Amino acid sequence: MKILGLSAFYHDSAAALLIDGLPVAAVQEERLSRRKNDATFPLAAVEYCLDEAGLEPDDLDAIVFYERPMLKFERVLTTALRTFPRSWRSFPHAMKNMLGEKAWVRGVISSRLGVSGRKILFTEHHQSHAAAAFLTMPTDRAAILTADGVGEWATLTVGTGERGPGGTSINIDREIRFPHSLGMLYSTFTAYLGFAVNEGEYKVMGLASYGEPNMADQVRRLIPRTADGAFRLDLDYFEFHSSAKRSFSDRFVQLFGPPRNRYEPIDLATAEGKRFADCAASVQLVLEDILVDLTRDLHERTRLPDLCLGGGVALNGVANARILRESGFERLFVPPAPGDAGCALGAALFADRIHFGNPDRDFPDHPFWGPVPDDQALARIAGEDRFPVETIEDERLIEETVADLSSGRIVGWMEGRCEFGPRALGHRSLLAAPHDSATRDRLNRDIKYREEFRPFAPIVPAEDAETYFELPPGGCRLARFMSGVFPVRPEWRDRLAAITHVDGTARLQTIERGFAPRLYDLLKAYGRASGIPVLLNTSFNLAGEPIVCTAQEGYSTFRRSGVDLLIVGNTRVRKRARAAAAAAQAEELV
Amino acid sequence: MGSLLNPIQRWVWRDPVRRGHRLLRFAEVEADGGRDLARAAELTADPKLRRLYLRHAQDEQRHAEIFRRRGTELLRAHRQEGEPAWQPDWLAPGERGLDDVSVEAGGDGPLLAFLHLSEAAAARGFVTYREAVGDDRETRIVFATILKDEEFHMTYTRHELARVSPRKQGWLLWKARFGRLWKGYLRLAVAIAGVMGAVILTLQYFILLPPFAWGAKRAAKRETEGWRSVAPKSGDLKAQY
Repeated sequence: MKILGLSAFYHDSAAALLIDGLPVAAVQEERLSRRKNDATFPLAAVEYCLDEAGLEPDDLDAIVFYERPMLKFERVLTTALRTFPRSWRSFPHAMKNMLGEKAWVRGVISSRLGVSGRKILFTEHHQSHAAAAFLTMPTDRAAILTADGVGEWATLTVGTGERGPGGTSINIDREIRFPHSLGMLYSTFTAYLGFAVNEGEYKVMGLASYGEPNMADQVRRLIPRTADGAFRLDLDYFEFHSSAKRSFSDRFVQLFGPPRNRYEPIDLATAEGKRFADCAASVQLVLEDILVDLTRDLHERTRLPDLCLGGGVALNGVANARILRESGFERLFVPPAPGDAGCALGAALFADRIHFGNPDRDFPDHPFWGPVPDDQALARIAGEDRFPVETIEDERLIEETVADLSSGRIVGWMEGRCEFGPRALGHRSLLAAPHDSATRDRLNRDIKYREEFRPFAPIVPAEDAETYFELPPGGCRLARFMSGVFPVRPEWRDRLAAITHVDGTARLQTIERGFAPRLYDLLKAYGRASGIPVLLNTSFNLAGEPIVCTAQEGYSTFRRSGVDLLIVGNTRVRKRARAAAAAAQAEELV
Repeated sequence: MGSLLNPIQRWVWRDPVRRGHRLLRFAEVEADGGRDLARAAELTADPKLRRLYLRHAQDEQRHAEIFRRRGTELLRAHRQEGEPAWQPDWLAPGERGLDDVSVEAGGDGPLLAFLHLSEAAAARGFVTYREAVGDDRETRIVFATILKDEEFHMTYTRHELARVSPRKQGWLLWKARFGRLWKGYLRLAVAIAGVMGAVILTLQYFILLPPFAWGAKRAAKRETEGWRSVAPKSGDLKAQY
């Protein structure tokens, strides 16, 4: 059976193709269109998925959209009615927004792909999250919690999942509904702190480490707990439900002070900068406390050892680590794409296993479902630009890359299929030595052009992780897709300065050889040379751009930034020496 | 047309806070333009164009940084909460002006023609802004610096257009001019339709919605807070609701 899953129209549109219950391809539209967080109909992603399998749209048995558009429309309209007359400004905007493509999804899919409307199915938003979180993970029975800004009505759901020869079931039994939302709380602070909503949330998490949670009580006033252990938002402090312009109210500003101007850099040496960091720390703490409470309760109710976490909130690695330590669950699974992009895969899986009742299949435990880079193309274009380019065997490549990393060079590393999800997990990474904080500063200044307070992540072989990081039981698994933040052991912090955050933690990734063999071998070889098999691993992109996908994009990023060498498969390109570069540039522009 | 707008430009650029915000807006447009050019470099099969597009992309990135720095300085020097009430973005939101570049479609000839016209329009705009900022020496220097690069961009795009499309260059330039005009018209039409739609929806909001709003508010009061039980789903995925 051939099932295509789609997510689109809000943020991070994506397509995923299942054939006989197993994924063949999955990719976010932004990786192909090169527009970050591209939310348009994912036509390029669909074309890639179909090409990968050699299919035409007519060959598909079903196309599954990741949410129910009319239910969402009902929520938008009801919210406007409930906030009448305050919503008069946002109402035209919301209606024009909904009545464009978003309300007519069946027709849009049908006309774009040329398929019959009867083949088009719809899952609920949080069903898609739950399926992506549970059905892609190596567990047969698990509790499930999904949390994000909002889907149709639900903002947080809990339930259980079960799979096996007897069939697959996902039973969501409780939910919290809009406007009461952990995701909206965090996004409101993201906006207040001057970052882009749906993109800057991880900056809030990074900034939180620099602050003290001394405003946690004020944050708790925004989100009082209900008698049944859930929560509600005090809507006097918010405007996201009644305004298209601002998500926080004047009362919110009275409580926390003036919002940050998004153009002003955060200077942590000033009282103003400290206040913003304290705000971030406070909302982070409150979010963690609530999630720990909810997951503890879920564990008590289900008594299951495994928890699968889905939705955008599951990208919060600090909260995930606390859930693992404090909730009572033995293992915590977060998929590589827990956000809306991952819903494309979740929707397809839900339809396959539950709607069509197809038998359960073991899901490959990796995120590599995107396009492969063409190293021949790199050799050609770098040669045309007279850059030193070589094609070399694995053993020598690894040996020389270790030497380059040890000399402080920054390496663009591309191999195999690109990752599905927001993180570079070893196939589209920038790698660097993790020892010196100057490397971190250079990456921030010359390559990533980003705020100083944001940390870089380490990558380490799974069997070596405990030597350098304090991992709770289950921590190694959580770190497989970089989903947890854990302390760096104090005795190694000085030697791992580039990846140790200000609070002594790191968002590490652990890898086994089968996950990414060449990268694993590189880490081991680097360990033999330096004594520490750890590298700094950050996504291969520049500020405002999606992670690179093709060799041409890797090359373009290499040319426009301070990356010293680019490796695509077995092809390597180096930057020219400075004098030669200047002469060549003058010559090439004539 | 440009000279007719000069008095308006002078008025627009007179306020330092508005000036700061406009420069920050320009920074965003330049950064976007840099990304478009990087994309063009990734897609072209012509090695010389790839090198030129990459250089152009780096120039745009540098311009973005220059605009951002000056804009931030102005806002810091004239602290004011929030943004000014009125932003005349429609006058010229940076150098892409009335048009959006479509890198994927068309190939190098049409793209070069488009870039040439855009750069020329941007250069004219920046000359106007340089004069309009009056005695703000630092901002004048910003525009003067960027204008030098714009001259290079105008020149190379014209030369390369002649190289890659020697016979069709005139036609491509005219086509690009018409394309810019057409897109300008579309933007205007969309803006007018947007205003009309907003007026009609606002009228409906106040005329039709009040009784439903009353009902919705009453229903909201009956809703319990906290957890809601979810009834077992049938698994039917055909419905959109």
